Amino acid sequence: MLENKVIMPSGASADSPQDRIGTTGGHAGGGAAPGRASRRLAVLHLSDFALQAVLRLEQAPPAGPLALLGAGPRAVLAECNDAARASGVAPGLTVPQALARCPRLVVRAPHPAAETDARAALLAAAFTLSPAVEATAPGVCTIDVTGLAEREREPALAAALDQLASTGLLATGGIAATPLLALYAARWSATSLPPEALAKGGGRAGQSPSSNPNADKDQSAPGGRAPPRPIPCSVPSPRLLVVRDGRSFLAPLPLAAADPSPAVAAITAGWGIRTLGEFAALPKSDIAQRLGGEGLALWERCVGETDRPLQPVVAAPTFAAALDCEHELETVEPLLFILRRFVDRLALELASAALAAATIELRLILSDETVHAHSIRLPHPSTSADVLFRALSTYLDALRTAAAIAGVRLSLEPTRISRRQEGLFDCALRDPHGFTETLARAAALVGPDRVGTPRVQDTHRPDSVQLTAPPEVIAPLAPAFALSPLGLVLRRYRPPLPATVELAGRFPAYFWTSSAHGPVREHAGPWYSSGTWWEIQHLWEREEWDVELESGGVYRLVRTPAGWCLEGEYD
Amino acid sequence: MAGSPPTLSALRELLQQRFPSAPRTGGHAFATGIPALDERGGLPRAALTEVVCTAPSCGSHLLFGQLLQQARQRGGRVGLIDGSDQFEPAEWGADVLEPLVWVRCAAPESAVPAAEILARDANLELVVLDLRRAAPSVLRRIPAAAWYRLQRAVEQSDLAFLALTPLAVVPSAQLRWALPCSHHLGDQQRERSQLAAALTVTLQRQRLAAAG
Repeated sequence: MLENKVIMPSGASADSPQDRIGTTGGHAGGGAAPGRASRRLAVLHLSDFALQAVLRLEQAPPAGPLALLGAGPRAVLAECNDAARASGVAPGLTVPQALARCPRLVVRAPHPAAETDARAALLAAAFTLSPAVEATAPGVCTIDVTGLAEREREPALAAALDQLASTGLLATGGIAATPLLALYAARWSATSLPPEALAKGGGRAGQSPSSNPNADKDQSAPGGRAPPRPIPCSVPSPRLLVVRDGRSFLAPLPLAAADPSPAVAAITAGWGIRTLGEFAALPKSDIAQRLGGEGLALWERCVGETDRPLQPVVAAPTFAAALDCEHELETVEPLLFILRRFVDRLALELASAALAAATIELRLILSDETVHAHSIRLPHPSTSADVLFRALSTYLDALRTAAAIAGVRLSLEPTRISRRQEGLFDCALRDPHGFTETLARAAALVGPDRVGTPRVQDTHRPDSVQLTAPPEVIAPLAPAFALSPLGLVLRRYRPPLPATVELAGRFPAYFWTSSAHGPVREHAGPWYSSGTWWEIQHLWEREEWDVELESGGVYRLVRTPAGWCLEGEYD
Repeated sequence: MAGSPPTLSALRELLQQRFPSAPRTGGHAFATGIPALDERGGLPRAALTEVVCTAPSCGSHLLFGQLLQQARQRGGRVGLIDGSDQFEPAEWGADVLEPLVWVRCAAPESAVPAAEILARDANLELVVLDLRRAAPSVLRRIPAAAWYRLQRAVEQSDLAFLALTPLAVVPSAQLRWALPCSHHLGDQQRERSQLAAALTVTLQRQRLAAAG
């Protein structure tokens, strides 16, 4: 699991993400602090984060209204999707209340491991942009992209959104001068911005404003915190909003976008205030007098004056993922689906850390409380999710476990990507990963110990051969100084065929086997050999004869203490 | 079909002599180092070649060893699908065995699927499917579609594919040779390279390669 350590400034607390979202800090003066006008922050935002995290690990997530239960003792909904909202379902309702409003509602339980995995994927995507990344809140990452050239920021953020989409997470992005503005931009890039906001203060990358299907819904969002809308799965293209003028961007937004408390929202609604611009037009001193500190903080958010330093996180150098399955897995397809999610995320983390995977460690927790562990050594370190997944898929194709799978653990052993100068005449593999896959598939067909490059062992015992992994690089053939071997090549029968031999004196004159039989025309031998005489149970001794049948064919007959056998045919 | 009529084979040999370049796919074939084969263009790449071993001790493993050495000298990799698990590595030096991927099939039925797996690998230069000792009844049970699927796999690659069989069973073979002569016990005293060079092969089928 990618664990992150929050680097805290002295006296600060990381326990309240809401504090980090926008209620602390100094003044930025219209989105940029004096002397820091060039600071640019990006935000990656996953709307309905916990719900997305749970659905991401489902092979066939249900369509239609969906909601997620909260993790607390009260069984109330924590999140719901657009379809559920359209049916009147809202966070805070109990399940019976929600089902009374929407009988088709599908409710999912929270899954902490799935959220951890989704959070790791979000951080991995963020680290592709900059090393200064803050885990602002569940589903929200703030990244300092000041170091990126201006022309590279939008493509880089769009690429990060694409990478997240490839891991099954549909995110939105925003770029602005302060963390809060960037967060608002990311939230509202998923929904609809009034055309004037786009014209005056912001520019949308990746989608034209008129193409957003949720435009009307967002304008009619109820009071309280503006609910960021989940992105429809049918629209996987990244959504990204760049804010250049904070005040112009904020002015047309509904007041709910600034997260007023319900009490303040009710008061401002009574005043007829609908947008951030209308609220920001009120005198600051009067707001402080009538609404107190909370109102003042809201006013500062409405004018875009809130700024704060980031609290960056550091990624631990381990690349692992784990999941305890809610329902036991009995087939390979759902397991492969989960592993694909893991691999996508881990490959992203590897790429962010400029590392590559050398070994894949897979552990399957079975329902009979045993563990099936397997390690896959890659021929070449790789960061490609496809390569890693193919290695896993090929292995699992032939795997049969004694019980259903209750949990999955996957870890990658990272390594630096090595660059080695090959010899001028060395022959390396053209497709190392494809070769590994070929060997694995062949091994799955004929047996894992029946594929490889033969190595003859250092013994005189016949048929002492061992299969080893084929070499990655084949050195050029050394000049042969030895004489050419003599004679035909033995085609060894495994096992040897029992034979009945008729002797003429000491010599074979006729033999019968299930494969060949007949009178012997010519013979050569015998040749005696023995070995391992010092171990009674491994002692072997034999007498070899080469014989040619009158009907044709040259064979090797062997006599052992157990009797005669036909060991092979010279071919 | 155990073999082509002699007149048909003679006609094919005549055509081969008159139009020696016709079956070659752009002059790109696997040179075997065996004069009798190389004079007729060697093993075509991207095509199936069948060698029918009609006599005992006809030299099929001698032929394979020769191909293995040729591939080794060029730095190519060789896959051997051993349908009856009869290859004897002790007959060859470790240096020669280095490029070999040996697939030891417990039963001939798994050999053709294994051959298809290896034929789709871009790292191999030569794949040999050894069904020499498989029972004819087993070979006849292999559906023709399996051989054509194998042909399709090989067509998309750059490898040479050789099937060693006891009788003609590969309907999709572009070339079919026969090893009709048995060796004798006295050949055990001759150098192996000489034996390989003296291998007797006869052509049984030669299909023209598809244009382009």
